[in-house]
Amino acid sequence: MNDFLELVVSSTASGCIYALVALSYLLITRPTGIINFAVGEWSMLAAFGGFLALSRFELPYAVGMVIVLVAMFAVGWATERVAVRGLVERGAPALAPILALLGMLVVFRELVSLSIGPDPQPVPPAFGFGRLELGLVAGSYQSFFIIVVTLSVFAAVWYFFERTLAGKSFEAVAIDRRAAALMGINLRRVTSVAFAASATVAALAGLLVAPNVSAHYLMGLPLAIQGFTALVIGGVGRVEGALLGGLILAFTEQFTVRYAPVAPGLAMGVPLVLLIFFLLLRPTGLLRAREARA
Amino acid sequence: MKKLFLRGTLAALTSAVMLMAPVAFAQNAIRIGIITDKVGPSKGYAEPITQGAIYAVKELNAKGGVLGRQIELLVEDDQSKPDVSATVARKLVDAGVVFILSVSVSPATQQAQSVTMETKTPHMTPSNSGDTLTTQISNPNFWQTGPLGSTQIATLLSYARNKNFKRVALISDNSELGQVTARFFKAGLEKSNIQVVSEEVVPQGSTTADPQMQKVRAATPDALFMAGVTTPENALVLRSYRQLGLKMPLLAGYNLSVPVYSSVAKGLLDGVAFVDAFDPAKPEAQRFIEAFKKDTGTAPYNLHGYGYDGIMLVADAIKRAGGTDKDKVREAMQATKSWQGGVMGGVGSGYGFVDGKRTGFDINGMVVRVYEGDVQGRVVHVGAK
Repeated sequence: MNDFLELVVSSTASGCIYALVALSYLLITRPTGIINFAVGEWSMLAAFGGFLALSRFELPYAVGMVIVLVAMFAVGWATERVAVRGLVERGAPALAPILALLGMLVVFRELVSLSIGPDPQPVPPAFGFGRLELGLVAGSYQSFFIIVVTLSVFAAVWYFFERTLAGKSFEAVAIDRRAAALMGINLRRVTSVAFAASATVAALAGLLVAPNVSAHYLMGLPLAIQGFTALVIGGVGRVEGALLGGLILAFTEQFTVRYAPVAPGLAMGVPLVLLIFFLLLRPTGLLRAREARA
Repeated sequence: MKKLFLRGTLAALTSAVMLMAPVAFAQNAIRIGIITDKVGPSKGYAEPITQGAIYAVKELNAKGGVLGRQIELLVEDDQSKPDVSATVARKLVDAGVVFILSVSVSPATQQAQSVTMETKTPHMTPSNSGDTLTTQISNPNFWQTGPLGSTQIATLLSYARNKNFKRVALISDNSELGQVTARFFKAGLEKSNIQVVSEEVVPQGSTTADPQMQKVRAATPDALFMAGVTTPENALVLRSYRQLGLKMPLLAGYNLSVPVYSSVAKGLLDGVAFVDAFDPAKPEAQRFIEAFKKDTGTAPYNLHGYGYDGIMLVADAIKRAGGTDKDKVREAMQATKSWQGGVMGGVGSGYGFVDGKRTGFDINGMVVRVYEGDVQGRVVHVGAK
């Protein structure tokens, strides 16, 4: 039982990281239709930002985190300005911005690998590396911190989309861009804010996971794949879908490794089987998007 | 006017001679190629190895070169991709190199052999540790001086002999080299009649190693052997080991000898035994550390030593061959016996390709060290006997 509950905490924490990356995809994909595979590199940039702010300059954790998140908000905004807006405004094919963002993926990765070097770097956790035991439930401080922060972020994003006018303008763009534009919604601004917010959420994932895996220049791609898989499972249409997808993916991964009678080399293929299963049988994911109301 | 013309002509000729001098020098230089990884997954290892090789060339050239000729090192990047590795190997052969060193990943080195075998170009990896590089292809032009996975486990088992392990766990990552190393660790353990009761893999990109380490805990082994070669995943293993309260002895492969662990696994390392191919207390290593530090401003570690030794071995073979004829260089390299001009290995160990073998790291040349806090401790055991 102890093992089981320990693993529930560990899986929930990993699922939260995947969910944040999935949310990062979703924030761009919903209003623009663009899939940005560079979200993982945003997480990687933020992890190195965390290394500089918290390990190199030894800033207080909250201050360092806020500085990195603000910087990543700017990076997201700049990415849209530099790599996407020109293509969209010139009527480039839908694939063009996706390819341009793949190019940005390489740019971000190499910028870090050339400027900081290929060695992994340490990022401190919020409350040290201790272990918290709440009855039978036990896990690292960082695991509980990841869970609390992620649930707060999802609650805030859900509130934004469901309860605020600005959020509803995003939803309107997602449902019908042309109609939203005719209603006076500024598409440019929505796109810019979507990229900036997406980068901030991806950055949060990077900052939260880095104390465990350290900041390293190749950490972005696995996160991008895990987040994308979570997105496919949960569905592109709803914020809750990203969280659900992340948790399902992480629980499947970790419980398969721990309890399924399969060779260790084969256990890691289970998430991929899950991805194929959803793509074939339920390509919209578990939660469907809202339809336009008549 | 005539004088002015003569002066002008003289100045132009002088300039031309000065401009041509480096060209003439370059034509006379002995060219050695190195295939490294500047952007791919093995960049973290390949870069310091390449820096060690560059330093070795600098040191040799400062002493007059080899056979009175300067060494020119041509550096190519294969991004750890086998197909690219073969392409750049051909490029180096076309550029007239006498010897090629490969320092990225084993599969890339393997693929580059297809070119060096065809062109009969001497080729060596001073760092790759996969046991199969010299056995899968019968390429008489290829040598390997990185410490083999089988040597690593033999050294660790030799160190742990008095601990009388009966049942152990083995954990690795899913990288190519990690899997090869784990395979040879397992073979070594089983050969010593030690049962592997739990065999786990932490995939690259994982965010935790808790499920794998829970399985290890449930199997109650006498010790845990780490064969992984990727630092983030090894750090995850160490973190879970502490978090889950595991107490069994932890014995690790040579990846734990890279100094970066002192920062990324801070607070998790005390008592971990690891195998290394570098003894900082060895006089040759001490001289190398001081000289490298003086030249570059940074302290070298074991990976730099691989590159340094690779170049020095090649230079020695060229010297003994008396020229750059590839056949003679190949024969000279194969004839290497107990060569002790390198910095790697324990005190008294040397490189040699005895009995026609093409793996040259002394099987008794590895050492075991134990972390004291976050600091790599002194050598506590030497060799595999």
